[in-house]
Amino acid sequence: MSILTYNGSAIIAMMGKNCFAIASDRRLGIQQQTLATDFQRIFKIHDKLYIGLSGLASDVQTLHERFVFRHKLYKLREERDMKPSTFANLVSSMLYEKRFGPYFAEPVIAGLNSDGSPFICTMDLLGAKQFSSDFVVSGTASESLYGACESMYRPDLEPEDLFEVISQALLSSVDRDCLSGWGGIVHIVSENEVITRTLKGRMD
Amino acid sequence: MAAVMVEEAAGFSFDLCRRNASLDKLGIKPPNVRKTGTTIVGVVYKDGVVLGADTRATEGDIVCDKNCEKIHYIAPNIWCCGAGTAADTENVTGMISSTLELHRYSTGRRSRVVTALTLLKEHLFKYQGHVSAALVLGGVDNTGPHLHTVYPHGSTDTLPYATMGSGSLAAMAVFEAKYKENLTREEAIDLVASAIKAGIFNDLGSGSNVDVCVITKDGKEMLRNFETPNPRTYNRSKGYVFPRGHTPVLSSSVKKLGDLVTVEDASPAAGELEAMEVDQKP
Amino acid sequence: MGESQYSFSLTTFSPSGKLVQIEYALNAVNAGATSLGIKATNGVVIATEKKLPSILIDEDSVKKISLLTENIGVVYSGMGPDSRVLVRKSRKQAQAYHRLYEENIPVTQLTREIATVMQEFTQSGGVRPFGVSLLVAGYDADGPHLFQVDPSGSYFAWKASAIGKNMVNAKTFLEKRYTEDMELEDAIHTAILTLKEGFEGQIAGDNIEIGIIGQDQKFRVLSVAEVNDYLAEVE
Repeated sequence: MSILTYNGSAIIAMMGKNCFAIASDRRLGIQQQTLATDFQRIFKIHDKLYIGLSGLASDVQTLHERFVFRHKLYKLREERDMKPSTFANLVSSMLYEKRFGPYFAEPVIAGLNSDGSPFICTMDLLGAKQFSSDFVVSGTASESLYGACESMYRPDLEPEDLFEVISQALLSSVDRDCLSGWGGIVHIVSENEVITRTLKGRMD
Repeated sequence: MAAVMVEEAAGFSFDLCRRNASLDKLGIKPPNVRKTGTTIVGVVYKDGVVLGADTRATEGDIVCDKNCEKIHYIAPNIWCCGAGTAADTENVTGMISSTLELHRYSTGRRSRVVTALTLLKEHLFKYQGHVSAALVLGGVDNTGPHLHTVYPHGSTDTLPYATMGSGSLAAMAVFEAKYKENLTREEAIDLVASAIKAGIFNDLGSGSNVDVCVITKDGKEMLRNFETPNPRTYNRSKGYVFPRGHTPVLSSSVKKLGDLVTVEDASPAAGELEAMEVDQKP
Repeated sequence: MGESQYSFSLTTFSPSGKLVQIEYALNAVNAGATSLGIKATNGVVIATEKKLPSILIDEDSVKKISLLTENIGVVYSGMGPDSRVLVRKSRKQAQAYHRLYEENIPVTQLTREIATVMQEFTQSGGVRPFGVSLLVAGYDADGPHLFQVDPSGSYFAWKASAIGKNMVNAKTFLEKRYTEDMELEDAIHTAILTLKEGFEGQIAGDNIEIGIIGQDQKFRVLSVAEVNDYLAEVE
């Protein structure tokens, strides 16, 4: 067993037309035993920037706190919110700093640029960035998520259609992963609003 | 707690090493990191250097990026292909390009390829192979075109044609069969592209497209996705279409973004907009 | 800095609440060659006198305007060697910022970093304040910027400013000539005229230095030939 699979997780982010969606499962387990079905893995950095963290739950929470701290400090200093790409590079630097004793978490970052275009990106636990123009996935269900997204994803979707695609991709993938699932949460962020929905999924 | 405020503390942090080592002792194996399985090559030709790379990134057996960039910036006249752990190649090239930029400011001269080579090998040797970056470094400076390979432990080679990564054997076979001295630009690009394709088709760690970078004394030309020999073969014209409202939802909320104060028409319908958070029970 | 509890700061308050070391540092600045800067609508110009103590010095080797990043330049008045320390530190700071965020450091941020260093040297043990004032010129996403940083570590954003020996006259001159709608070319002319006002001897392409940055966000120091062309234009 790798420590990245200790708690189980599934995260996706997808690009739509001037919007993005980010979704995760809600299970927290210790290997095969489920502890909670309302665990939070997706965090808001600011109104138009979200980060999802798969992997070891304790590192997920520690990293979240450190990212929020750094963003607040940046905002005080520079009197502006971070651009998604800037934040992605900060996350990457913070992970690579611990190259020889890493956090066991893999981030998915999704945000809207100032011109309204979406930005998504993922990293491994050492901070190797991977930018994408369609979808990114992470977590113990990533193998099935890749497959589901490859076939279900379509470019330039409107928020409501993007919601259906990302939800179906998430729900069908976690059904083939013992360690993730137990419902899901989706955020769809566009220029003027954020829609947050919790999904009904299998509870086994 | 002044240390907490220090933002750009230089160097690595070993805070979590003890914890991670204790997990290791419990028999929990360390996680996969993102690698660039990779075929990377370079060749010196008549007027400069041509570098080439495939575009597949892998995490274990999974292809996690089908079109990544492996030709990294070092200086305007020096570029570097990276194989090995993706985070290491990314950061080691970034660090050296930063050092070289400072060096250019203080000397007022163009960077030399040997300077980049020395900085890279010193860094890699210091970490005794734990920073696992295997590089093909190429560039043109005042002393002419140069091509080097750098191994993760810090040893280097100076060669007229070079290959690195898991596809290096396949690519080298092409070079050994077809390389000749004083290639023209077109011949050199063709040779590099076929060497990369040998890696793409014969090495499982390499795949997708061919990236090429041509460096001459007058500048560089990046030919991103110079060849795309592996297009998607299974495009569906419409894809899966899910009707709206198809997915079972437990709860839903909407948060309006934008200006804190919006001026709305005072017609009765606008009243609904007053509630910022709308909870819809299923 | 301050490794030992016995390494006292040189900069100590006088009974009247002044830090005389900082005032002495300002005296060093005011004894230095005049530098000035003007912010135009579409760019910034900084300029300085490059008077050499002897005709035997090779004037090509003396550079008073430095690049900190590709879009930020700086000129000093006061002690040349002190300015080099600040230039080195701020270039490094700019690179560190770039490594962290993969984004060029905003002019405001870099200026504050320089000011922070200068302030630390008024409060640390075993060091003295810097004998320079700086004019920082840059162009970033927020448009053109002109900042002045003093030995105390205080910094100000200016539309136009001057530092050094002829500061007072130059500022008076700039106050008369400055207009809000000035473009970069006008600003370069005004900069030359301002330098010319207080110039002892014949002004020429090899005894002044001019740095400009426009909307291309590339800071560059004008060549002697370019300066001579501008000098001919204002005559």
